[in-house]
Amino acid sequence: MVSASIPKDIRRSRLKARILKYKGFYLMFLPVLAFAIIFHYLPMLGIRFAFTKYNLIKDPVFVGFKNFERLFSMPNFWSAFANTLNLSIVKLLLNTFMAVIISLLLNEMVNIHAKKLAQTIIYIPHFMSWVVTASVFQMLFSPTTAGLVNQALMKLGVTTQNIYFLGDSKWWTPTYYIINVWRDTGWGTIIFMATLTGIDPGIYEAASIDGCGRWQKMWYITLPSLSNTIITVLILNLAKVMNLFESAFVLQNDAVMNVSQVLQTYVYYQTFNSGTIPDYGFTTAIGLFRSVVGMLLVLACNVASKRVRGRGIV
Amino acid sequence: MRKVLSLILALAMAMTMLTAFATTAVAEVTKPESISIFIDGTVFTTNNARDAFQARWEELTGIKLEITQPDHDAYYDVLQQQIASGDWPDVMILSSTYYSAYAAEGVLWDMTDAWEASDLKASGRFTGDSVVEGLKIDGRLYGFSPTRGNGCVTYVKQAWLDAVGMQAPTNWDEYYAMLQAFTTQNPDGDDKKETFGVAAAGFVGPEAPYVNYLPEFYQDGTPTFDKDENGVWFDGFTQDSMKAALERLNKAYVDGVIDPTTLTNGTKDCRNKYYDDTFGAFTYWAGTWATNLKSNLEANNLSGELVALPPIAEVGAYLDRVPPVWAISSACENPEGVYKYFIDTMLDGGDMQMLWTYGVEDVHWSMKAETVLAGTDKEKTYEDGQFHMKESLEQAGTVYTKHHIDPMLALASFAEGYYDPREDSVKAEAKAASELFNTHSKLAIIVPTTEEMSMYNGDLVTLKNELIAKVTMGDLSYEQAMAKFESDGGAEWSKAIVDSLNALNK
Repeated sequence: MVSASIPKDIRRSRLKARILKYKGFYLMFLPVLAFAIIFHYLPMLGIRFAFTKYNLIKDPVFVGFKNFERLFSMPNFWSAFANTLNLSIVKLLLNTFMAVIISLLLNEMVNIHAKKLAQTIIYIPHFMSWVVTASVFQMLFSPTTAGLVNQALMKLGVTTQNIYFLGDSKWWTPTYYIINVWRDTGWGTIIFMATLTGIDPGIYEAASIDGCGRWQKMWYITLPSLSNTIITVLILNLAKVMNLFESAFVLQNDAVMNVSQVLQTYVYYQTFNSGTIPDYGFTTAIGLFRSVVGMLLVLACNVASKRVRGRGIV
Repeated sequence: MRKVLSLILALAMAMTMLTAFATTAVAEVTKPESISIFIDGTVFTTNNARDAFQARWEELTGIKLEITQPDHDAYYDVLQQQIASGDWPDVMILSSTYYSAYAAEGVLWDMTDAWEASDLKASGRFTGDSVVEGLKIDGRLYGFSPTRGNGCVTYVKQAWLDAVGMQAPTNWDEYYAMLQAFTTQNPDGDDKKETFGVAAAGFVGPEAPYVNYLPEFYQDGTPTFDKDENGVWFDGFTQDSMKAALERLNKAYVDGVIDPTTLTNGTKDCRNKYYDDTFGAFTYWAGTWATNLKSNLEANNLSGELVALPPIAEVGAYLDRVPPVWAISSACENPEGVYKYFIDTMLDGGDMQMLWTYGVEDVHWSMKAETVLAGTDKEKTYEDGQFHMKESLEQAGTVYTKHHIDPMLALASFAEGYYDPREDSVKAEAKAASELFNTHSKLAIIVPTTEEMSMYNGDLVTLKNELIAKVTMGDLSYEQAMAKFESDGGAEWSKAIVDSLNALNK
């Protein structure tokens, strides 16, 4: 209301004055702006190919929404979409849950050296590439006498014959979650450990004086203090669920495509498995669909964040 | 009489003029001043003294070479971008997929006539007529390969055959009996260790010709598109031969003669298991790999004696991959000149063939007395006048084995009187495996590109591979698999592609 009552030329001169005053900041911002435009906004012009038939040789031919019609009529596409949501969301919940549990356990460790050693050990898997991780777990879960897990299960009498954990649709999904928890849980504890370190020790002291046990302190002090961080982590990661690729790609195989094919791997196979030059219009349409769903998730997260934390993430 | 004489003279003059015209047409190929080429990592990279290669090539031809060489792994991405930009190179290397697609889109120059009139064809040294025929699309040639594509032969451990008291198999029954013996009769002499008859990287290969890692199981079956004797296209996946192949794979899986982790094996996993004496029959690349398999087995204190099997009776012939080709773009201003001075000289039987096969003298190979480091603790000393490849400039401790042309796959010998280093540079077992393959192989066919192929084949291949894996592992019966093929749209996609391929014949 106030700005509307100020004449336009005065507002403009004030803006100029502000820009001049903060010119140093604007100059520093320029490279970031250029970077964002060149690498994030200009490539968005490629979205137009989603509405064309284009093989990179002849000029693109506008086909309207035909690529999307074809996409939505493909059973493999919907299966890949469902798998993307299923694998990503369950993985996110499991990893966060396990990261919280491990953070709480680490927080209870009194010996500082043992604590640091434990932290280091659980962080290491995160730095292994997915290709190496897949190779290691293929050996561990091998359905032969060389497979450590199968041999252990047979020794314990849990099973009488080898289970093909990574080659059987029934077993692939839980095995995928286990591998993800092993690899990423340690890394996920960092943010929770930082929050736990920030809790005022005086609160614990007061609780002890009031006669609280270790369990009660964890339940009534630690967990409530962590809750805001847990929600933030969940919300921020929810926006990234459509990006699933590498972990699914390196662990999938022909027999488990019905449960392991995700949107990104679907695009990959459309591009490299067709035995010919793919229709880039079609694969761009898949990418655009993925981006739109991802954007909707970000907006939903923003709303959720505003409601839970009182402020948005964007 | 005079009239007859005049007529004869006139005819003779006309014939002479026609001949002279034809000769002039061939001879009047203009030598290009420069040639732009787009190459992958199969040609020496800058880290491997590409500059020396370029200088020697320019010295031999007097033509300037403009080279674009993206990272090998990103080659086709960059090439596609280059083609999309409209700035096409004169010459490019293309895999069979890109070759047929680019030919269909008019990107490539038709070199049929140039090939027919080429020096190489007339030289009498060329042995790759079948390869040239295989590269023709609708009877026209758009690319040339100086080598065969190579393929796989089945290597069987002689020590395992001796241990189970068997001879090398010649038919399916003998082959399967051998696999069973390898699985159950403790051929490695270790009671506790599990052994298998055969292993492969997947039940079906990731690229054409798809069946080359398990040829004894597929025999005449194929999961992809093929042509019958009348030139009519069909989808091999829907044929009875494929049903029989799946039954053989399933039986082998149930009987435990095929490594149960075949589904998730990579080729490196298979090699390591072979070196660890986990299985006995391994279908792998002919040629240099025969030496690699032997030396790695020996490095593990195992016998390196391998039998390279001639194809069993039911297989008939191993499959020779369609080789990558050198193609000239239709935007090239002087394609005849580029063909004559660039492509036709590759197998000239002399200095140029030497350059493309082994590289530059005293950079990549040498005849001088010297000691070459060939491994962390291996040194080899050569006498003066003894041909040898030099230590890699990029990877110290390793030795170059070849340049762009694999000497064992080359489609033409060196000219008479020109020194052919192959006898000195290729190990006996590699040469034997290569010759066995060359004798017992047939070229895989090129499947042309159609719009329907581009639309459906990605989904179709994924579905077929899933069904092959599930039938092999017993998760689905063949009938259930075909019902799923029908219900998931596979049959419809397959028919659309087959119809589109046959429409090209009309």
